[in-house]
Amino acid sequence: MNRRDIILGATGLFALAPIKGAAKTEPFRLGLTPVFLNNDREILSASKSYLEAQMEREVEFVQRRTYEEITNLLLVGDLDAAWICGFPFLKNRSDLALVAVPVWRGASLYQSYLIAGAERAAAGWDDLKGDLHAYSDPDSNSGYLVTVSELLKRNRRAEEFFDRTIFTFGHRNVVRAVASGLSGSGSVDGYVWEALATLEPELTRRTKVIWKSEMLGFPPFACRAGEEASEQVVTFRRALLDMAQSGEGRDILGQLQLDGFQRANAVLFAGIQSRIDIVARKA
Amino acid sequence: MLDTPLLVRAPILAAAMMVVVGILASQQVLNALARMQEQELQELARTHLDGLAVALQPAVLRKDVWEAFDTLERATLEGEQVRPIFTVVSDDTNQVIAASDPTRAEVGADAAPWIEKSKEAHQLALTANSERVFVTGAIMYQGESVGRLVTELDISRLAEERRRALTILIIGNSAATLVLAIAAFFVTRRALRPIKVLTSHMAADPPEQIRLGNVAAGDTEVSRLYRGYNGMIDAMNARNDAERRLAERERYVSLGRLSSSLAHEINNPLGGLLNAVDTIQKFPERRDAVQASAALLERGLNQMRDVVGATLETHRAKREYDPISTDDIEDLRTLLRPESERLGQTLHWPDVIPDVRQSGLPAGQTRQILLNLLLNAVAAAGRNGVVSLTLEMRARAMRMTIADSGPGLDNVALRKLTGDTAGVGHSGVGLRLVRDLTEDMNGSIEVQRNDGTTKIVVEFPFFAHTDAA
Repeated sequence: MNRRDIILGATGLFALAPIKGAAKTEPFRLGLTPVFLNNDREILSASKSYLEAQMEREVEFVQRRTYEEITNLLLVGDLDAAWICGFPFLKNRSDLALVAVPVWRGASLYQSYLIAGAERAAAGWDDLKGDLHAYSDPDSNSGYLVTVSELLKRNRRAEEFFDRTIFTFGHRNVVRAVASGLSGSGSVDGYVWEALATLEPELTRRTKVIWKSEMLGFPPFACRAGEEASEQVVTFRRALLDMAQSGEGRDILGQLQLDGFQRANAVLFAGIQSRIDIVARKA
Repeated sequence: MLDTPLLVRAPILAAAMMVVVGILASQQVLNALARMQEQELQELARTHLDGLAVALQPAVLRKDVWEAFDTLERATLEGEQVRPIFTVVSDDTNQVIAASDPTRAEVGADAAPWIEKSKEAHQLALTANSERVFVTGAIMYQGESVGRLVTELDISRLAEERRRALTILIIGNSAATLVLAIAAFFVTRRALRPIKVLTSHMAADPPEQIRLGNVAAGDTEVSRLYRGYNGMIDAMNARNDAERRLAERERYVSLGRLSSSLAHEINNPLGGLLNAVDTIQKFPERRDAVQASAALLERGLNQMRDVVGATLETHRAKREYDPISTDDIEDLRTLLRPESERLGQTLHWPDVIPDVRQSGLPAGQTRQILLNLLLNAVAAAGRNGVVSLTLEMRARAMRMTIADSGPGLDNVALRKLTGDTAGVGHSGVGLRLVRDLTEDMNGSIEVQRNDGTTKIVVEFPFFAHTDAA
């Protein structure tokens, strides 16, 4: 936590102080993008129960089909915080603030995977030319930005390189599309693919990883800029950061296959920023 | 089968009918089941398509591949009888938007082949052993078709159900049919028992009467049948007796006539002979008179010998079955001539008698027939009449024609000779015997009358000698 965060946090704390009593009656609204197992009622139920106990207030999960919808809800104040991707966070850098970032396999980093059907002979990018390609979401870093920017780096344009592209609005859906043969290849969150490899091996077994990107900043929890020090956000952050401390929390982390949460700086997303820059330049 | 007795044939037919009824009934049940299953299939297919079309409509409008695919994947229904196993959704240009198994129908491929091999829900029909059917339906939006769905339905469970029903029907109906067939066999057999009784009594020689004691009290038809049969047997016996008596009488009449003819033949020369004897006794010394009388005696005795010889020949039993010969025909002439001459008749006899022996016909019976017919002809022709005999040897048959210038046969005589009924009356002596003998020898009799001449044509097929020889 840097000085700016503390100041902002303190400001927020003070700013929210007068309506603290009223705020307690309002539920804490947490937006969830289809980053991971957005359909898993068990994880959602356990997380809600854990957060409500930690924050001593009602927690409401808000789910939408696209990243954009969740980001917009967060920006207009309909959500108190949201688990979004590094890409929309950077796109709205001035309006959003980081709450905490998950730690996976010892770091808050992950990769974008380029996957293809397991039966295919494809071994590299060139083999995927002319494919029907499945993206996750146009606002996803690993499920869109990395692939588009990587092709630009190779002087190819995605819309020309692939015969046809589809958005599945979910990393698990990308794996399903490739596994079923609906699409020849797909761009997927490496963390999701690895998690699925443990939870649904019969699904990932029908796909294979063709290419992995460099390590990039893990999708963070964010709030509106200026609210990162609000009492509810601070409480929420504390609940996340302390998750590994309790048995209930560890269960949730275990299901999410995460090590825990930590505070992070926007510098974490420099890699994503450079990919945004490639796209901006080439476009 | 036609040679099989009715008593076996009818029960078998009744049993076979039961089998046919069993098969038809099973077929009806199977048809009803198939119809029911077809309706069920059509209903399920329609429900499936309608539900899916509603769910897919937004994705089809946007041509959203993933949304369509996701909807199809989540819509994998687990039907009891009908299971969708594959679905293709296409846009208004028949391009595949998505398929539940993209490896079978790629995104953007032509959906026409899938649509072509499918039918609308209401057209779905179950065919023998069909395990899969393709059904199609339009995806409508504001009254217009925006896309099309094709679903492959697994209907093997319906087929399995039908097979199961068929097995149950085969086992159940076979058992029921077997019981019914056996029952039908025995019931029919029992119902036909009176016929069996009737047949066995009729087959007996002579046919026997049926005792009515064994007939059930209420079985009026059977007792009426038996009584009718017994009455018939009575009538037949009575007729046989009458015929026997008639034949007996005819024989006596025939014998009487022959005796009288014989007596006449002997009596005729007897006067002359006695006269010759008287001459010899009166004039023993007159050599010429004695010689003339002796010659007269010889002629008269020869004539008598011929007549007696012919009569003996005609009635000699041992020759009964020898084939007829030309001598037999000559003998008949000898027998006939005196009476014919007495009446001043003209007797046309064949100049050359053909080789009648080749016909192989038994001499006794044939001579009897000819003698009777010729005697009748002579009697009918009367004084100064004309009587003729013609013999023709045809291919495997001998034809004898006896003609006379008499007034023709009256109805009674005609019936005796050619009719089936026993005629009663005196005209035409021995004609009935002629008819019976002719029938015995497989011959035929035809009576013709024209230009004042009556012709009786008797034809016999050549006789093959077997045990009769």
